Amino acid sequence: MWIILLAWKNLWRNKSRTWITILSIFFATLISTLASSLKNGIFDQLVMNMVSSYTGHIQISRQGYQDEQTLENAFFPSDAIGRKILNQKGADAMTGRLVSFALTSYEDKTKGCMIVGVEATESERFMHLKNKIHAGQLANSRDNKVMVAKELAKELQIMVNDTLILIGQGYHGASAGGKYPVSGIIDLGSPQLNKKLIIMPLLAAQQLLGADSLITTWSILTSSKINPEQLAENIQSAIGADFETLTWGELMPDIKQHIDADSGNMQIIQYILYFLVSFGVFSTLLIMMSERKRENGMLLALGMHKRVLQKLMFIELIFAAMIGATGGLLIAYPIAIILKKYPLQISGKLAETYSKFGFEPIFPTSTDPVLFLSQWITVFIMGTLLGLYPMFIIQKMKPVEAMKK
Amino acid sequence: MKILLLFFIIPFTIQSQSASDIVRQTEEKMRGKTSTAVLIVSTIRPTWKREMKIQAWIKGNSFSMLLIEAPARDKGIVFLKRNKEVWNWMPSIEKTIKLPPSMMSQSWMGTDFTNDDLVKESSLVSDYIHSFSGDTIIGNRSCYKILLIPRPEAAVVWGKLITCIEKERLVQLHAEFYDDENRLVNTMNGYDIKLMDGRLIPTRFEMIPADKKNQKTEMRYESIQFDKPIADEFFTVDKMRYLIAR
Repeated sequence: MWIILLAWKNLWRNKSRTWITILSIFFATLISTLASSLKNGIFDQLVMNMVSSYTGHIQISRQGYQDEQTLENAFFPSDAIGRKILNQKGADAMTGRLVSFALTSYEDKTKGCMIVGVEATESERFMHLKNKIHAGQLANSRDNKVMVAKELAKELQIMVNDTLILIGQGYHGASAGGKYPVSGIIDLGSPQLNKKLIIMPLLAAQQLLGADSLITTWSILTSSKINPEQLAENIQSAIGADFETLTWGELMPDIKQHIDADSGNMQIIQYILYFLVSFGVFSTLLIMMSERKRENGMLLALGMHKRVLQKLMFIELIFAAMIGATGGLLIAYPIAIILKKYPLQISGKLAETYSKFGFEPIFPTSTDPVLFLSQWITVFIMGTLLGLYPMFIIQKMKPVEAMKK
Repeated sequence: MKILLLFFIIPFTIQSQSASDIVRQTEEKMRGKTSTAVLIVSTIRPTWKREMKIQAWIKGNSFSMLLIEAPARDKGIVFLKRNKEVWNWMPSIEKTIKLPPSMMSQSWMGTDFTNDDLVKESSLVSDYIHSFSGDTIIGNRSCYKILLIPRPEAAVVWGKLITCIEKERLVQLHAEFYDDENRLVNTMNGYDIKLMDGRLIPTRFEMIPADKKNQKTEMRYESIQFDKPIADEFFTVDKMRYLIAR
């Protein structure tokens, strides 16, 4: 215990030296934490946008649907299989969707679109449609109304309560056409989806497409703690080969790869940042060791064990590292929380560029504790590694030589 | 001497005339000046089957009108062909749609026919050069096997056609459609030769796409009337929407 006290006292004997160490660690932690929080936030949002309004974390469809995404591969969602899926640990919520492509037309404008029939009860838990309403309101499950994605509505120049036309081919070659009032315009976040999605109650979609009580996919949301790959495997083995179970990463490999590549980049930048800070800290250590050479030699000469002295030095360094890192986190966390609530909005040309790459031009941050903890641990490891230097010096130290002026 | 010459000439002239003649006669028999028919079209797929009941009015090569009467959800859909244009009336959206060229190669109502098959103005008679390529036997009946090569100026999608026409009754029993690269695209077979409105015609056809397994479309005539006069004004966009109310 006394050794910790002594380390603490030693730390403040030369305040400016300690502050340099603490501040360099502080800024490194602050910057890298905020950067990775922002990065995770942006990607989480991208994934959430796609996952919640499109695929789900895991998507189950009839064998063959992924190769040929047509209504002919729709299936009847039996309760027995549904229960088998929900029995798997981590499968929190499940919803059936009927997805098809059609032409939509309003006055003299016609666009291709993707029709997604969603179950009304699940549409809230899944898609949080209520928060995504841009104008108008949600369609009720019994309504014969549609919700149009923002960009598509803009291109069709359609407003709430206007009536659009959907025309396409239904199940087994039946004709599919209908007139639907627009109950609401929704902002789905993802620019890709905003350009083509029309969401309607599942019942209305089934009627339109002549696919009574059929769905094309089951989407499953899972809590973030469960690994979706593992869950997908479990589900696959539970329901057998008639179905295919895919994770969002497999369904949207482009996004998954984009995230992986960008995360890799970010990691390298973080390593460089920490590398630079390590050198800063190392130089203060270097100075400290030469400044305290005489003192350390004296302590050894007086009979202090080298082991104890090494411990003392080490604790001092850990103290400095922890103060810097904790301080960095304490400042970074509230900033992350504020930025999550009031995310950075990007406007103008840059926003358009981001949209083209499929990003919503809103940059929230992630407040995932794991992220912050991992930064803290990284700093700790860095401190430990740097602590090897004073230990090494002390190990080699000869008290008599050290005390010589 | 003259008689001897005739012996030489007659066989060739009869042959080269009759290949075209046979095709013309067969086609005329099937079409008449006008025809009004009730058809059952079945789309047959490995896992399902779907039937449509269709009333058809056809006048020559340029006019036709198709009204879907069953199943209930498609009832009232009308296709009108006027020269090279195809119009589609959808009661569910109360709109008339002119099918764009981009949709022409798409499946018609989920069958193995394309929208283009409806418009095909091409005539087996005038757009092809006909020649015999031997005889064949289909179901105990001896048939002419006739090769049809499109005339260079004709707007025809096929590279060549092979058709088999029964010698005795002049009905088309079999046809193969090849593309530019001489690959088989579709096979058509005619069955159930019956007397309808005074003409002996095959009343059941099947269309089999070559590249899809266990898949075909069958067309069955329930009734057909020939040469009942239909005014050109009948084949108009305006008429389409009132067809079902008749």
